Amino acid sequence: MTNVTASPDLEGLRTALPPDVQRAPEAYVLDGVTPALAVRPRSMSELAATLLAADQGGLAVAPQGGRTALTLGRPLARYDVALDTTALDQVIEYAPADLTITVEAGMTLAALQATLGAEGQYLPVDPAPGDQVTIGGLLATARSGAWRGHLPAARDLVLGATVAMPDGATVTSGGRVVKNVSGYDMHRMHTGALGGLGVIVAASFKLAPVPAERATLILDCGSLASAGATAQALWDRNLAARAITILDPEAAAAIGLRPSSSVLAEFAGDDVVVARSLSEAGAVARDHGSLAELIDDDPWTRLRRLASGETEATVVRAGVPASEVAALVGRASAMMGPAWGHIAAGAVWARPAADATALAALRAAATEAGGYLQLESAPRSLREGVDSFGEIDGQLMNALKTQFDPNNTLNPGKWAAEATS
Amino acid sequence: MFSDSPSPLVRDLQAALGASAVLFEPEDLLPYEYDASTERASPDAVVIPRTTEEVAAAARIASGHGVPVVPRGSGTGFAGGSVPVLGGVLVVLAGMNAIREIDVANRVAVVEPGVINLDLQNALAPHGLVYAPDPSSQRICTIGGNVGTNAGGPHTLAHGSTVNHILGLEVVLPGGRVTNLGARQLDAPGIDFRGLFVGSEGTLGIVTAVTVRLIRENESVRTMLAIFDTVDQASEAVSAVIRNRVVPMAMEMLDQETIRVVEPRVHAGYPLDAGAVLLIEVEGLVEAVEHDAQVVIDACAGAREVRTAESEAEREALWEGRKSAIGALGVTAPALYLLDGVIPRTRLPEVLNKVLALSADYGFKCANMFHAGDGNLHPTVLFDPEEEGATERVLELGGAIMRLCVDAGGSITGEHGIGTEKRDYMSWVFSEDDLEAMGRVRFAFDPTGQFNPCKILPTGHGCAQGHFAPIKQHLGAGSYV
Repeated sequence: MTNVTASPDLEGLRTALPPDVQRAPEAYVLDGVTPALAVRPRSMSELAATLLAADQGGLAVAPQGGRTALTLGRPLARYDVALDTTALDQVIEYAPADLTITVEAGMTLAALQATLGAEGQYLPVDPAPGDQVTIGGLLATARSGAWRGHLPAARDLVLGATVAMPDGATVTSGGRVVKNVSGYDMHRMHTGALGGLGVIVAASFKLAPVPAERATLILDCGSLASAGATAQALWDRNLAARAITILDPEAAAAIGLRPSSSVLAEFAGDDVVVARSLSEAGAVARDHGSLAELIDDDPWTRLRRLASGETEATVVRAGVPASEVAALVGRASAMMGPAWGHIAAGAVWARPAADATALAALRAAATEAGGYLQLESAPRSLREGVDSFGEIDGQLMNALKTQFDPNNTLNPGKWAAEATS
Repeated sequence: MFSDSPSPLVRDLQAALGASAVLFEPEDLLPYEYDASTERASPDAVVIPRTTEEVAAAARIASGHGVPVVPRGSGTGFAGGSVPVLGGVLVVLAGMNAIREIDVANRVAVVEPGVINLDLQNALAPHGLVYAPDPSSQRICTIGGNVGTNAGGPHTLAHGSTVNHILGLEVVLPGGRVTNLGARQLDAPGIDFRGLFVGSEGTLGIVTAVTVRLIRENESVRTMLAIFDTVDQASEAVSAVIRNRVVPMAMEMLDQETIRVVEPRVHAGYPLDAGAVLLIEVEGLVEAVEHDAQVVIDACAGAREVRTAESEAEREALWEGRKSAIGALGVTAPALYLLDGVIPRTRLPEVLNKVLALSADYGFKCANMFHAGDGNLHPTVLFDPEEEGATERVLELGGAIMRLCVDAGGSITGEHGIGTEKRDYMSWVFSEDDLEAMGRVRFAFDPTGQFNPCKILPTGHGCAQGHFAPIKQHLGAGSYV
C-alpha cells in the first residue's frame, strides 16, 4: 500500500536534484510503501542539500545504507524520500600507526575491514546480519553480535561523527584522536537513534590489531541448563574468548551444527594464548560432561545472518544479567524458534514464531530479570501493535527530536514514544 | 559579610534537607569556592544531600528561585567544572558514598556518586574484579565526578574511558525530575542518553546512582620501565609497540624534568640522568604477558635499559612515581598549571619538542608526565603567581599549547573536561554549527540553562551572557593535588 501523494514540494525537490542522483523508488520499498523519490547523493554536501530541501518541502525522509535493519522500530508514519547513503563510501583518513580511521558513512563494514586488513587491523565488531551493513547503519542501529562483552561495540569505538541535519547544517562532534572529552558526545547520541536526529555522513573509529590466531570450539551440552553452566564456567576462566554463545537446538541446527543445546566459543589472540584457552576450555567441557570439538568459523557468519530480519522474520534481542541468559534462551526457545545468548554481553537473541501476546510475555520475563527487550525486526503488523523498544524516556527523546528535527522530517513515527504528527 | 537571617532560598533548602545539610555562612562556603583549576567563585548555598530525593528537592527549589545548580564531588577537577561561577546552589555529592551493590556473578556494581574511585577498587579486589577507569587522582576523586568528566587514566589505553564502563545512570534532571538512562545491561534500546550524559560536566543533570561494568582481574601482569636518553627515542618505542600489534594496558611517559623532581621524593627507581622513562604494563593470561612483554622489550631497542618489576612492591613503586608526579611537582614550585591535550600518538616527539620550546620562550619550566599510548599530554607548567604578570603569561602559554594540539589534529582535552577553562578554545575545534547543535542538546535537557551555567560551551551558547561577570583568574599553591 502506498500513501504517497505527489506535492508541489516534492516536485521542487525533484527538479532541484541532478537527475543522476535519483534512483528508481521501487528499489526502496519499506513495509510495502514505495517512496515518491529515491536519492543517492554523491557527496556530503549533496546529501545535506537534499535533506534541507526535503525538510523545507515538508517531506518525510528515511535514510538508509545497507537496508538490513529497516524493520527496527515502528513503521514510518510518512515516507516520501529514500535517502541512500551508499555512494558516500570513501576513506577520509586512515592512520594505521595511530590505530584510527575516518570514513564516509555509506561505506560498508566489509569494505572498511578490507582496507584495515591490509594493515593487520580491524574494527572489532560483528553486527547482524553481516559485513554488508554500512558504517552509518552500524552506528544508527547500535547493533553488535557475539563479540560484544568481550570486545567493545561501535558505540565505544566511535571517536567522532559528522552528521547532516534537517536544517542543512553539517555538524561534527568528537574528533579523530583516541581520547577526547571536548563538548557533548553527539556521536553517541546518534548511536542507536535510528537516523531520527540527523543523518550520519562520516565517522572516526578506534581500531584494534587483528588477532594472530583464532579458533572456534563447539561444546555439545545436551541441555540448556548445562549449556548455561558451561558458558558461565568458560566466562569465569577469563580465557582469551572473543565469543561465548549458548545455542538452543534449533539455533544450532540453523547454523549447520548438531541440533543440540550447545556452547559455541571463539578464542582469539597469539597462538600460545589460543592454545592455552582451548586446552582449558576442553577441561571445562570435561567437567560439565559435554563434548568439545574444534570446528571452522562459518557458524559465526551464519549466526549473524540468523539475527537478520531481512526475510521479515521476527527477531528479538533482550538484555539480561549473564546469570539469566540460559534461562531466557529457554523461554524464547519454547516459543518455537531458534534462540541463542551471548553470556558476556547478557544478550539473548531469538526468532520466535510469536504473536504480540507471546512477545509481551517474553519482554515481561526479560524485564523481571532486570533487563529489557527490543524488537530488532518484525513484520509491519506486529510492529504496529508491539512497542519496539520497551521502556525509554519519551520526554527526553521528544525534547531532542524537537531540537534536532523540529519538522519531524527524519523517520517520522519510528520511535515508539514519538507523536506521529 | 554576615547574613542576619538565612535567605528564602536557604530556608527552603533547610526545610527540605534539614538544617545540617545546608551551608550558607560565608566561612562555611569558603572551601567550596574552588576546585583544582584556576577558577574561583562562591555559591549562595551548599547542600549535602544523602538521597536521590534530596538532590531532586534541591534542584526543584533552585529552579523555583531561579538560581543555578552546580554538582560537585571531591573538587579535584582541573577545568573549573564544579566552580559555581554564577553562584546558586552547590550540590556536594560526597555524602552519597554507598556502594549499593556488587553483583559478582554478573560483573556489575551499583554505586552512589560520592564513592571514591579507589574505595570501589578496594571493595572489588577481594572478588577478583576491577573497575577499569583509574584516574591518577583515584585516591580522592569520585565516581560521580568521573562520570561528569568522562575521566580516563593510565589504563584507558586498553580499556577505554569512563563512558565505556558505565551501563546505567540514575539522574536528577534540571527541574528535579528523576530518570534512568541506559540499563543494568549493555546496549539499552534507543538513543544512547547514557553515552551523551557521561562527560557532560553536570550541565545536563546530576547523577545520583551509577551502574558500572566490571572486568575480571587478569591472572598475570608485568610492569616494565624502559629508560631512554631522549623523549624522541621513547616516543619511537611507543609507536613500535603498537606497530607490532600489542596494545598494552598502559604506556606512560615521564620526561627529564619530571624524573628529576619525582625520583628524589618518591624513590621509584627512575634514573636521574634519563631523558625519559616509559612505564609499560601488559596484562592477561600468563602466555599473553610473556609474548607481549617480549614485543615491548624488542620495541624498546633504543632504550638504555628495560627493567621489569620483579615483585608487587617493585611494581607499586614504579606506579607510585607516576601517580605521585603531580604532588611532587607541586612542592617544587609555588604553583602548577596542569594541562590536558591530545594528539595523534605518532606526532608525540614533534609536539612535545614544540611544547618545551614554547615554554622556554615564555620563561617557564614545563614538566611532562602523560599517557603516551593515547597521545594524551599533560604539560605541567611551574610558576610563581606572586610574580608580576606570571599568571596571565602561564594561561597564555596554556592556550598556545592547546593550539599546538589542535594544529596536530588533536583535541583540547582528553580527560579533564572543558569546564570554564577551555570554553574559549572550543571554537578552535568546532564550527559555529557544531557548537549551535551542542547548544540544542543542552536546551533539550535544560531549557533555562540553570545547571552548571557557563561551562563547556562558549559564552553565547547556553550561557546567560548578561550575568557573566569577568572571572578572576586565581592560582594558589594550595589549589593543587
